[in-house]
Amino acid sequence: MQDKQFMRETVTEAAHAFRAGRLDRRSFLALCGMAGVAIPSVLAGKAEAAAGEIVMWNWGGQSEECHGSAIGVPFTAETGIPLKFDTSGPLQGKIKEMVDSGNVTADVCDADLFDAVALGATGHLEPIDYAVVSKDKTLPGYALEFGTSIILYGYAFMYDTQAYPDGAPANWADFFDLEKFPGQRSLYKWANGSLEAALMADGVAKDALYPLDLDRALAKITAIKDSTIYWGSGSEAHDMIVNGEVSMGMVWQNRGRNIEQETNGRYKMVMDGAIAMPGAYIVPKGNPGGREAVMKFIAVSQSVDAQLGLFSCLGMTPTNAEAIAMISAEDAPYAITSEANMAVIALNDPTWWGQNTDAAVNAFLEAIS
Amino acid sequence: MAGNAASGGLTLRGLVKRYGAVEAVAGIDLEIKRGEFLTLLGPSGSGKTTLLMMIAGFQEATAGEILLDGHSITQTPAEKRNFGMVFQGYALFPHLTVRDNVAYSLSVRRRPKPEIAARVAEMLELVQLQGMADRLPAQLSGGQQQRVALARALAFAPPVLLLDEPLGALDRKLRVEVQEQLKDLHRRVGTTFVYVTHDQEEALSMSDRVVIMRDGRIEQVGTPEELYTKPRTEFAASFLGKSNFLHRDGRRFSIRPERIDLLAKGKGRTKGTVLALSYFGPLLKYQIQTPDHGVLEVDVDAWRGGPALAPGAEVGLDWKDDAAVPLEQ
Amino acid sequence: MSRIQSLNPAWLLVAPLLALVAVMFAGPLLNILWLSFTDPEPGIANYVALVEKTSLQKLLWTTLRVCLITTVLSVALGYSIAYAMANVAEASRQRMMLFILISFWISVLVRTFSWIMLLGRNGLLNNGLIEAGLISQPIPFVRNELGVLIGMVHYMIPYAVLPILAAMQGIDGRVLQASRNLGASPAQTFWRVYLPLTKPGIIAGALLVFILSLGFYITPAIMGGGKVLMVAEYISVQILVTLKWGTAAMLAVLMLASVLGLLYVLSRFMKLSAALGGGRT
Repeated sequence: MQDKQFMRETVTEAAHAFRAGRLDRRSFLALCGMAGVAIPSVLAGKAEAAAGEIVMWNWGGQSEECHGSAIGVPFTAETGIPLKFDTSGPLQGKIKEMVDSGNVTADVCDADLFDAVALGATGHLEPIDYAVVSKDKTLPGYALEFGTSIILYGYAFMYDTQAYPDGAPANWADFFDLEKFPGQRSLYKWANGSLEAALMADGVAKDALYPLDLDRALAKITAIKDSTIYWGSGSEAHDMIVNGEVSMGMVWQNRGRNIEQETNGRYKMVMDGAIAMPGAYIVPKGNPGGREAVMKFIAVSQSVDAQLGLFSCLGMTPTNAEAIAMISAEDAPYAITSEANMAVIALNDPTWWGQNTDAAVNAFLEAIS
Repeated sequence: MAGNAASGGLTLRGLVKRYGAVEAVAGIDLEIKRGEFLTLLGPSGSGKTTLLMMIAGFQEATAGEILLDGHSITQTPAEKRNFGMVFQGYALFPHLTVRDNVAYSLSVRRRPKPEIAARVAEMLELVQLQGMADRLPAQLSGGQQQRVALARALAFAPPVLLLDEPLGALDRKLRVEVQEQLKDLHRRVGTTFVYVTHDQEEALSMSDRVVIMRDGRIEQVGTPEELYTKPRTEFAASFLGKSNFLHRDGRRFSIRPERIDLLAKGKGRTKGTVLALSYFGPLLKYQIQTPDHGVLEVDVDAWRGGPALAPGAEVGLDWKDDAAVPLEQ
Repeated sequence: MSRIQSLNPAWLLVAPLLALVAVMFAGPLLNILWLSFTDPEPGIANYVALVEKTSLQKLLWTTLRVCLITTVLSVALGYSIAYAMANVAEASRQRMMLFILISFWISVLVRTFSWIMLLGRNGLLNNGLIEAGLISQPIPFVRNELGVLIGMVHYMIPYAVLPILAAMQGIDGRVLQASRNLGASPAQTFWRVYLPLTKPGIIAGALLVFILSLGFYITPAIMGGGKVLMVAEYISVQILVTLKWGTAAMLAVLMLASVLGLLYVLSRFMKLSAALGGGRT
């Protein structure tokens, strides 16, 4: 163990030297190989989070690459501050634990706006400095005290065109109608989006959803429970559809385009009634990189280039009106904030969710299990 | 009283057991009389245990026949043969009490409870374990376990009791004691005992007849006395007791060490020089170098043979004519 | 044995390690216990919820039911596999052991998705059966409680096989011969001798499987299609999503107490060391 620790420290030292230009790339890689240390673990290790750099806590996979190229590159170019990643997924509980333990190792979390409401109220977040971050570069109502929405994702549903040759389902009412459209369904397991979809299916107008009528939503959901399976991750939702387990399935809207392409159009996404979710950048209280640097980072991520970069890389839709306007006609149907879509989608209320997540999730879990 | 005296005569005809190319039992013909105590004696690998397992029904005969009271049981499975057996190491059921071990054969035959209880009590009395009924085997001494194994094997009054080295796990002193008990038990129950051992003393002291086995065949069958006094082969002579071997007129003879007399120098049939001697309690064992017969072993009664002779002493040797037993070629 | 003799000096050698273990384990455990009585506010409200909330009762009943069925099936199937392994030639046994160990090494996630590919509505088996004309509608093998049981039993069988096999291999073959010799039929020998002698293995296997099942998370979450909610997943959701740490801590304490209670009850009936691979009784 001692040896390993020593080697790790050596390599970490070397990493600093490499970045400072005192060590050439080849020697650095050779050293890493000798020590048996994965390069990202020293370049992006949690232990390194400190002043002089920004650590972004996100969900790994493609998002690390996309955040790096879309935001990290311009941010570092502008400020000289490097961007690093912790890809373990900033769930509310993990952020709370990190702040409570006093060992804060991340500067900015790729979270939901309702997390900003919930954790802001309990004192776990730094307030957003709206002198640096612009309230105008996001959708109205999505610049909150403890977080601002950078991108949007959403909940839409996809259907199997071969299952319904005589007329395609067009909205959530069709999704919940097993008589007219028989077949298996899939919904998101942790309530979000599923509850709104149920209410819209039951006739609630898309702009009159909140506060959610839980009993009414759950009654609708339990009515199709025997024909519904529930997913907890994007890849699971994806698999349920492409493996033919369901004939209509809820998905994260930004993944829908991939599925349409992958299945040569056999599965089609319905945007009518899609629920737009504001993704937000939030800052854990006492972040090591300092308030100034992290606010600057959030401001950079509001820029048109950064937002369009994220859209093309992750399929996440911009919140900055200027960026929205630059989306091509071809891409517009898949951008949840495009003009055509804005007319039919519902917007998530982060305040309601920030205050009612526990009740909503537990009631939902009880209803489906 | 406990046995099944009306039955129990075994006939083995041409029994063979082959494992691949190896013949563990290579053609055995043997008549075991009802009520007899017969011992299969031989070194390890002689086929005695395999033969016993074939009689028990755990090994299938490659060829030959086994008859019980004239009826073939060659194809009868072990559980239908009704032979009692005492296993090497006893093989008591470790999870059952002494009572349940002894009752096992009766309970699997679904005998009425009172009958079982009475029979168990009778068997425990027979092996003098009355107070031990509720103990588990692990709570008994080796000798007690051995008696439980006997009681269990005899509980259903089998016509034949097979014993596979039942005294092997006991220390020497206990062994002599248990030999006596076994002999006594055999007398009382009247069951045919087929006993496997590699210990010649056990074989001699308990058996009505002994079968000496070698390489899967019968070397010689006879009463202990016959085998000791009239061994037919060099193997039989040397396996059962000690023997000197003499050559005369192109034939080989066996002569037991105690049948040679030591005389004064110049007397007797031949002469010799004492090489070594050792004390064995009542016996003095001499190694004597002779000109004609090599080194001979001679046993002399320690209290009758006068003062011990030192190595180097010269002596005369003599024996009666019938002491030298001619061996088969 | 005197008191002084019983204090083996070897204990002094392991004392630092024991102290470390005590701190590393006892510390967090006490923290959980503390949390269960203090979050969100001091008192026993978290425990009272067990009596008052039918949702928690349903959760615990689902967990108990799935774990018990998993245990029974795993031990039954594991017993027959172990029996086959105990009674084949050494070379075959080693081959079978290799297969058992290989399945140990496959990650839960991979198995889970393999099952879905195999048994899903559009999976190999359903498609085969439909093409063969045996069924017209796919059979719902997975994404329900049956799916959870299939996935969990498959995962747990090796844990049942190993202790049972050890018990079977420890049986003296002569004891079984003795039973036959005393007139017992093969069935009687099995029920009266073989099964009782393998009981420590069965109990060890069942304990192992049951305790491991209690903590199962991924398999129920995916194979159950979201509809089979078990304690481990619920605890995780309460910690990470709903931030009801007190409820999570209470359930964790409950799980730990049940496992310890189970071990205690069993220790009253048998020597635990025998079940857990120690000396044979």
